[in-house]
Amino acid sequence: MAIDTGLLVVSTVTLSAPLVLAALGGLTSERSGVMNIGLEGTMLSAACAACFVGLQTQNMWLGLLAAVVVGVVLMQVHGILTQAFGIDQIISGMAINALAAGATSFVNKGFLTLGVTARPVLLPKQFFWIAALAAVFLIGVIMNRTRAGLRLSAVGNDPDKSRQMGVDPIAIRYLALAATGLLCGFSGALIASNAGSFTDNMTAGRGYIALAALIIGGWRPWPTLIACLGFGLIEALQLHLQGTQLAGASVPTEFWTSLPYLVTLIALAGLLGKNRAPAGLGRP
Amino acid sequence: MHGVSQTFGSVRALQEVDFVASSRAIHALVGENGAGKTTLMRILYGGLQPDSAEITIDGSPVHFRTSAEAIRAGIGMVSQHYSIISELTCLENLMLGAEPSWALNKAAAERRASELARQMGYSFEWKAPAADLSPAGKQKLEILKLLWRKAKIMILDEPTAMLSPGDSDALFASLKQLAEQGATVIVVTHRLPEVVEHCETVTVLRAGKLVASKAVRDTNLMELAELIVGHSVATSSYEALERRETLFRATGLTVKGYRGDDAVKAADLEIAEGEVVGLAGVDGNGQRELFQAIVGRAKVKAGSISFAGSDWTKRPPSERLADGLRLIPEDRHAEGVIDDWSLTENAALGLQRRHGFARGPLIDQKGRWAAAQHIADRFRTKHGGLNAPMKSLSGGNQQRFVAARALESETRFIIAFQPTRGLDIDGTALVYGAIREECRKGACALIVSFDLDELIEQCDRIVAICNGSVVQPGSGLERDRAAIGRLMVGAT
Repeated sequence: MAIDTGLLVVSTVTLSAPLVLAALGGLTSERSGVMNIGLEGTMLSAACAACFVGLQTQNMWLGLLAAVVVGVVLMQVHGILTQAFGIDQIISGMAINALAAGATSFVNKGFLTLGVTARPVLLPKQFFWIAALAAVFLIGVIMNRTRAGLRLSAVGNDPDKSRQMGVDPIAIRYLALAATGLLCGFSGALIASNAGSFTDNMTAGRGYIALAALIIGGWRPWPTLIACLGFGLIEALQLHLQGTQLAGASVPTEFWTSLPYLVTLIALAGLLGKNRAPAGLGRP
Repeated sequence: MHGVSQTFGSVRALQEVDFVASSRAIHALVGENGAGKTTLMRILYGGLQPDSAEITIDGSPVHFRTSAEAIRAGIGMVSQHYSIISELTCLENLMLGAEPSWALNKAAAERRASELARQMGYSFEWKAPAADLSPAGKQKLEILKLLWRKAKIMILDEPTAMLSPGDSDALFASLKQLAEQGATVIVVTHRLPEVVEHCETVTVLRAGKLVASKAVRDTNLMELAELIVGHSVATSSYEALERRETLFRATGLTVKGYRGDDAVKAADLEIAEGEVVGLAGVDGNGQRELFQAIVGRAKVKAGSISFAGSDWTKRPPSERLADGLRLIPEDRHAEGVIDDWSLTENAALGLQRRHGFARGPLIDQKGRWAAAQHIADRFRTKHGGLNAPMKSLSGGNQQRFVAARALESETRFIIAFQPTRGLDIDGTALVYGAIREECRKGACALIVSFDLDELIEQCDRIVAICNGSVVQPGSGLERDRAAIGRLMVGAT
């Protein structure tokens, strides 16, 4: 079984870039102490917004803008639910995912019944690759070398003590969630751009894989990037290896398709012992 | 500060209190637990909004809505449990909330930090995580944080609560140095020897009211003690207990903490019939895990627990309750009561299978009502009817109810975690009195508290827990403040 290395690299990058953006979004949120399983729904909504604004306006920048706005709005909703109303962070995240799945499907159906067949205009994926790399670098610098990063991790580790030191945990968390929305907006727009048009549930669990990469990366930007590349590589291999034979036996396609999810499971189970989670994660 | 009043619900925490402190001096603010010391200081620090108060600094009136505003006005506060975040480095903790600019120049910050440390005669490993600091190290870092913020008014709440006597003296030497440099230092404490030895003026609060404010040289230890308690103080005496049969025994007990490491390490503990044993320690040294293991909610990794001859190591909590285990948990909302249930229903929690609450599989309605009545009356819980939901009670009254329930029926072993949290002096006396009473009738008790003074006052014997190890003070030192204080911080 011969694999074209060049092609593998390209598909690895293609498949990891949305993970990187989403995982970094998860990073800003979770380092501030807000658990965020709503990444999936936020990405899906952003992808939907990018597609349909890109279709209507035929302007790729407006598509990206729409994705970012939708992402930021959804994450502020998560903030309001968890910080102002004290709703459990997991439940709020699940609500966002459920809302996104229903709403995007509804919008999509609306367009299908209108009989719209034109393709949306979207930014090229290379733009997002650069954005993803820049985001890793930027977040690395922010976390380690700025006041914002210091306050973010202080709030994530101990909101009460931070408040005593004159830092407002709630304000910081809203800001962190805005950053999450922004990054998930980019990630969703990229997924749309990879596919070319919107289909129901097109993020297909990437939000959860991004979360897994974030955990494996120990909530730090560069290790998270590497974890995302790993997941991208597995997904790329999966595409390349489908239909090939392993040790003389033919392997069902389903095995390869399930591979990324399997690895996620094993990685999470194996790494739970070395917990580097922010100490204040989930604390109101 | 003039005419400060503050109410919490129906409790008047402060009534028309005046407080004056001048610069270049150490002021002491003293009073019993619940006298309103911390409340007064939190108002000054912007952490609480008083019902009424006039606060002036250097002659100009101020009003702080948040701590951030107070910090900007040059006020710094070191709280009892410190505000150091373990996961950050020492340098990051020092800067947090008062970073010089949006971009952190760690090299420059470290130079300034080292300079401040040198002035105070301290030395720090700035890049090390703050979790590695000893209690004394944390206290030093807190003082540097005040200097970093250029605080002119420094409030220290129970600064010596977690320090050994030697470290306490060193702390006061530092504070004296700061006062000489022009700072106003306010020390909240209930340790009178410290006041007499190190402070210049003292303000006494009792039950939310100003009792006295005078220069330390015009008063003495006994007078202060009387002012604080409100009547002359009799030195407490305890009837010596003859050693009776050991009821509770933990041997080599090891329990895993939630982070995966051993939170309790090979702990040995014995409690005899009639004994009230205190477990002293700084918060987070394994008390919670030990408590959970004894009540049966945490799995025992190694070692064994037994009570009155029956092996508890693997027994479910229900059987331990049947053996007479009764608990007063730390967080009554999470573990003690169900907020939306009535007092009557809450009275049966944990006792639902006991006689008086159940008749076979059925609820004994009459018995439960009578028991609830008895529980509520025992510590004079103020309530609006036994059918009212638990959440309609104030915190202190909920705590009275929870404590009374633990002592209600067939009690043989009371395990209490900070049993007097939220209770006033009267409630505290009632609860400890009742625990003592049960023990006289043949039960035993283990009291976990972060307040060593309370334990010394109330227990027969105190053991310390430090970093998961239970250590017994030497013979004759079971209630010796200095000896136990050293064990609590791991010094020998």
